[in-house]
Amino acid sequence: MNKTIIININSIVFHIEEDAYENLRSYMIEIKKHFGKSEDSKEILEDIENRIAEMFSERIQLGRKEVINMEDVSQVITQMGRVSDFDTEIVLGDATAETYESDPDGFQENNSSSAEESDSQTRQENSHQEPDFSLLTAKKLMRDMDDKILGGVCSGLGHYFTIDAKWIRVIFVLFFLFGGSGVILYLVLWAVMPKALNRADKLSMRGEKANLQNFKKSFDEEMKGIRENFSGTSEHFNRGARSIGDGLGRIISLIGKIFAVLVLIATGGALIGIFIVSVMHILNLMGFQNDVYFPPLEVLQPTAAFFAILAATLAIGIPFLALFFFLLRLVFKTRPMNNYASMTLLASWIVSIVLILYFVISTNQEFQEVSTISVEKQLAKKEVFVFSENNMRVIKASDEDFNKKKFNLNINEKALSEVLRSDISIQFEAIDSLANPYLQYNYHAKGKSYSEASERASKINYQVSQQADHVIFNSHFTINSGQLYRDQRVAIKAYLPVGTKVLLAHELDHKVRDIWADNCQGEQKNYSEWIMQKDGLKCIQKLIEEREKALQERLDEQEKLKEEAKDEEASKKKDQEEKNKTEGATNAA
Amino acid sequence: MWFLEKYIVLCIAKYYIKDISLYSMIAENTQTQMRKGILEYCILSIISRGEIYASDITRELKKAELLVVEGTLYPLLTRLKNNGLLSYSWQESTSGPPRKYYQITSEGKDVLIKLDVTWKELLFAVQISIENREII
Repeated sequence: MNKTIIININSIVFHIEEDAYENLRSYMIEIKKHFGKSEDSKEILEDIENRIAEMFSERIQLGRKEVINMEDVSQVITQMGRVSDFDTEIVLGDATAETYESDPDGFQENNSSSAEESDSQTRQENSHQEPDFSLLTAKKLMRDMDDKILGGVCSGLGHYFTIDAKWIRVIFVLFFLFGGSGVILYLVLWAVMPKALNRADKLSMRGEKANLQNFKKSFDEEMKGIRENFSGTSEHFNRGARSIGDGLGRIISLIGKIFAVLVLIATGGALIGIFIVSVMHILNLMGFQNDVYFPPLEVLQPTAAFFAILAATLAIGIPFLALFFFLLRLVFKTRPMNNYASMTLLASWIVSIVLILYFVISTNQEFQEVSTISVEKQLAKKEVFVFSENNMRVIKASDEDFNKKKFNLNINEKALSEVLRSDISIQFEAIDSLANPYLQYNYHAKGKSYSEASERASKINYQVSQQADHVIFNSHFTINSGQLYRDQRVAIKAYLPVGTKVLLAHELDHKVRDIWADNCQGEQKNYSEWIMQKDGLKCIQKLIEEREKALQERLDEQEKLKEEAKDEEASKKKDQEEKNKTEGATNAA
Repeated sequence: MWFLEKYIVLCIAKYYIKDISLYSMIAENTQTQMRKGILEYCILSIISRGEIYASDITRELKKAELLVVEGTLYPLLTRLKNNGLLSYSWQESTSGPPRKYYQITSEGKDVLIKLDVTWKELLFAVQISIENREII
């Protein structure tokens, strides 16, 4: 039992077995390729198809059957002849006549048929007018294995662009000197360009037609080259250098291979890493909290964030994947990826890049306008203020209003991280010693428009409470649930009268701006001690130290003066003694 | 020096191998040239006898051992037709699609007469040339 296919040749319908059809199809493609170049190809193909149809119908009538099978097809093909059986010189007589070049050896041929002698004369003249036509179309980029220093890449490129290979080499060396990019380019080309192995390859590399004259020409050239090599000593040396180059090339290719394997492993690791990171991110979005989180994702809605992660994964992963496959191909000589797969990868990479650009631009819009709402609140006047933090994540059961706490109600069954933010800064400013202290809250948010931004800023919920001399800052502020991160911040300025003493809890150290609480130690372990002066808050300990230092300096100075006075006295005494001595001497005299 | 020796041997071997294939190619080329001209002459002659179908031409040429496969014929016919030496007409067939029947045009006939003359000249020339030849 066999599957049959219905085909239509010149509007005659045939039933044909599947394998026979495949055979016929590949045969027809072969023929199409063969005649594709000549002008009359359409008509020739029609004639051949017609004849095949006729032969099929003859066979059906003779054999009293309904289906064309493999045997029929192969017999028809033998009768019609394979492309290799067609006499190429006859068939393509016209086509080749146009591309023939005059041969220096006088190996001139009259390619035209006797029937069109007058025609051929003009044709050959035409061919002299446009000799480059065939050169441009037929050239192939291949590595020249006869004229090589490392891999024959440069000479191959030289043939392709009809430049002397040495110029290409110079360019490569320059590229190598400027940043080493030449090496990578060379390795890539080495891997991509096929070797010109046989004579036909070499001819098509030079852009010459693979016909008999050129075969002979290239053969003669090669023989000439060999003869010269054996006669001239300089060429001898050249050969030697080339074989050294060969050895060097082998070493370099070995090093390259090791390098490629290392990069391959690294790339594989990177791919796995990218995969893990993206999975972690997606888990994060689904509510399984973990440490792997890219903060900018907060600005997006969860669904958008999902797509953003996907796009980012593709945008980063696909180049790595491509590199991975390329190296795999380079090292293990695996087959290249099929065209559809690589095109799909390229397309999805472009899409992901576009998607990322879209996200970046659209979220950038959300941050265009800034709004700050400023609120002032009086503090009860005290000699000493103790600033401390109330960690919102720790709920004390002893609190009277434990159940009433606003945020407890607000964040019912919501992840804390979605509504709690900690972008809080505290600054201290000095005011007149008689004025009342107060706090200034600056609620800050961004949005697409100013009104949106200010609405967002007004939704920020943050208060500082005062109990006697204790001023307690909450560790976080809350935003309405469902709101996204739009650079919401709270900046607090504490205006304190000059001379006020401040005890600053160390929990607040990272919120306090402008002063360095780390360097300041107080008598109490958990607090740093400060005093407000005209030019801001000063560390008491530092002040004391400074004063002590100044005192010490003064003492030192006094000591110095004393010593100097002593020295002076001593020198005076000496002078006196000497005077006395000389006086005594004169007296004696 | 061992590699130099090896290289020389390789080159000589290469030379001989290439040589054989090269000269067979040259021979083939000449044969093709000869056959091509004659093939067209023969086709024109066959068609000049009267209207004829392509596969009948093939049969005759196969009998004369001038043509091996049918596929070679179609491009030749097309070219001769495009050069105005042949024309064709469609005729219904009992088996399969309608057939192209070729016939010679008056231009074709003129060319054929010239070719006849050339052929006789060539025949004479070849006969003279090979008459006293020793190598076979």
